[in-house]
Amino acid sequence: MEKPQLSCKLGILSRPDGSAMFCEGETTVIAGIYGPVEVKMQKVINDKASVECSYRPKSGLPGIEDRLYESLIRNICETSLMASLYPRSAILITLQEMHDSGQLISCAINAACLACLQSGIDMKFMFGAVTCFLTKEEVISLMPPISKSDVKALFVFVFDNAAGRIIASHTEGSFSEEQYKEALNLGREESKNVFIFFKKTLVGINSC
Amino acid sequence: MNLMCILYSVVPTYQPAQKSQNKVRLSQVKVFDNNFKRRNMAEEYKSLHPIKYYRDCLAHDIRPDGRAFDKFRPVLLNIGSIDTTDGSAIAKVGKTTIVCGIKAELCKPKADTPNQGFVVPNLELPPLCSPKFRPGPPSDQAQVLTQLIADIIENSKCVDPKDLCIYPDKLAWCLFIDFVCLNYDGSLIDACIIALVGALHTLTLPSVDYDPSLDNKLVNLEDRKPIPIHSTLISTTFVIFDDKIILADPTVDEENYCTGIVTIVLKGDELCCVHKPGGSPITEDDLFDCIDKSKLRSPLIQNLIKTALKQK
Amino acid sequence: MPVDHKRINGPEETVPYSLFTKLNTKSLQQQFKEQVRDEKRSDNRLLLEHRKIFIKTGLVSQAKGSAYIEQGKTKVIVSVFDPREIPNRTDYSLKGEIYCEFKFATFSCTKRRLHQQDTEEKQYSALMKQALDSTVCRHEFPNFQVDIYAFVLHNDGSALSAAITAAGVALAHAGVPMYDLIVSATLGIQQNIKLLDPSVTEQWLCEMPVPLDGKVGNQGVIVMSMLQSHEQISQFYQVGNLSLEDITDSIKILENACKELIPLIQKHLVKHVLKTMKNKSEDK
Repeated sequence: MEKPQLSCKLGILSRPDGSAMFCEGETTVIAGIYGPVEVKMQKVINDKASVECSYRPKSGLPGIEDRLYESLIRNICETSLMASLYPRSAILITLQEMHDSGQLISCAINAACLACLQSGIDMKFMFGAVTCFLTKEEVISLMPPISKSDVKALFVFVFDNAAGRIIASHTEGSFSEEQYKEALNLGREESKNVFIFFKKTLVGINSC
Repeated sequence: MNLMCILYSVVPTYQPAQKSQNKVRLSQVKVFDNNFKRRNMAEEYKSLHPIKYYRDCLAHDIRPDGRAFDKFRPVLLNIGSIDTTDGSAIAKVGKTTIVCGIKAELCKPKADTPNQGFVVPNLELPPLCSPKFRPGPPSDQAQVLTQLIADIIENSKCVDPKDLCIYPDKLAWCLFIDFVCLNYDGSLIDACIIALVGALHTLTLPSVDYDPSLDNKLVNLEDRKPIPIHSTLISTTFVIFDDKIILADPTVDEENYCTGIVTIVLKGDELCCVHKPGGSPITEDDLFDCIDKSKLRSPLIQNLIKTALKQK
Repeated sequence: MPVDHKRINGPEETVPYSLFTKLNTKSLQQQFKEQVRDEKRSDNRLLLEHRKIFIKTGLVSQAKGSAYIEQGKTKVIVSVFDPREIPNRTDYSLKGEIYCEFKFATFSCTKRRLHQQDTEEKQYSALMKQALDSTVCRHEFPNFQVDIYAFVLHNDGSALSAAITAAGVALAHAGVPMYDLIVSATLGIQQNIKLLDPSVTEQWLCEMPVPLDGKVGNQGVIVMSMLQSHEQISQFYQVGNLSLEDITDSIKILENACKELIPLIQKHLVKHVLKTMKNKSEDK
């Protein structure tokens, strides 16, 4: 099955503790992570770090739609990071959308994961996201259809690399339970490739 | 119809039936409940170590409010009680109360979608409903939930924006669907979706005579018609406690102390949203178990909505 | 309409459809005559008859105290929260503060309201604060503030007085120390006719100067709140032109109206106390 080409560049920004530019097909997102840093008084959590995420769209000010992505990515990172190792501090994740050709959310999640890995903040497990598309012809694929109007439904799954369990699921459009199951299995298979890609990238930085 | 009947008495209610196996457990809790001293201690324990209190309770296969893990709270629905709206409904899930009011206004369609009207949903979490919220602009939570509801409406296509067009490129309806939470006790989306379906079914729009050459519009208030509703949505929320226990229809405390949340929205036999925004990872089996449970609940809620509509 | 980045915005310009209905060509005077005919109002009430009131406490389980009031079709919900430290205040204040917020639901009136508080709502919030400031024993909680939120679900006139009455009940339900129970009533005056507890149309007509026999007569709306057993007025608000005699008359009428409301509220609170005591003794 045809699938989007993954590519990535780590450490593209010099100021943050970890940064990554992640491309999934043509979709590109840059992620930067600061942490652990000082935390605002209102957001102090006594037994763990508070994880914050801000998402910037390609143009204009972030709106309410971006808030949903922010909360999604924040929750995912919060579960996977060992936040209890850094009490009374903050971990800030910033994401910048560069180009969207369909897999924006999964691309942003993967970029966040690579940035976390590069920053050296302890993690419980890695997370990898995959987008599946259900076309009007009821075919499930990993490649976005050429025209947006051909998409009947879109699924974003996030898995952990340890046991392959589902961390997050986000869907658009309507679909049957079987289709959801099928997309989930396809996503799980593809997530293995995503993790292999992550590992290869990380071996790359360690060897230089 | 009067509002008070939803807020206080029992109109169309769906009370989940208790299975016999839970009866033993419930009676055990009653003993616990009747003993004032022990209850007082339990309350102190609850406020000092809330998470531990929940763990102890759940270890005995029961939730602090006496429900079994997979039991839902009673649901109430009242429709069309606010007559300044074009369609309104009030839904109660347990103590959570949501008022949904729809007001229609006239506007010009967008140039790139000349034959479509607008649906503008917004969820308000006023400081009135819980001490968690402060006056001022909407909290992050309100924004996330608003977007989620907007996504659900758009994905399910329960209202087709094309039905809201009066004259292409000139005149269309804009439906402002406003949700207000009056009491915040968990499972907000579930209550919002029930209120939404109720309000949409009572929604009527007056007919409009439009003369495109003169841009004249005349609204006949007497001639009001409902709009086509393409599907009935049912939402069900679950929380994951300590990475393994799955609780249906959580209260606000359960939502605060849980480690993950799953919301499933059904549109007839189809799914139209499986939303799990991070949190504890769960296995595929658990996820499909949740979907099955929400499928079982769906006909009950549908019956409730039907009964409420008949009573009008 | 300004773009709000924290909400979903509709199209830039929308107009209520009521603007395009068949034109209402009746003069204000005719409209008023339709509302009041032979000492009877459009809903068959006498001129000085209050609408039926329904009160219930404990609706908002998350709040310390709450009350829901239905006055005819007007529906208001009020909740009161635990005292909390006054935010952004460094010096010591001997008396506690009351924070009031009055809000109409976007769908509560014939014309859609915006989500942000508009000037009318701010004005009503200030009036509510004024009415409650002298009712609550503020010296009992120095340096703290009690938050009171009023939310109108359906506005059919006299929303402010309904909110103040409900706030009094909600404060009592929350156990906030008060000098006395507070009740409030509204009176509309137009063409020398006084209408107690006006509906939304009546209230609107009373706020308009309608000429009678060529000159503009006495017209206006009065909202008055009273501490009943002390027989003190804690808040008085008036719009329109009224002669001194009319105002003194109106105060008498409103005083009587408030007196009539008191037993109802007292009965309700006693019922609530009995219920709580019963629950307590059952626990033992």
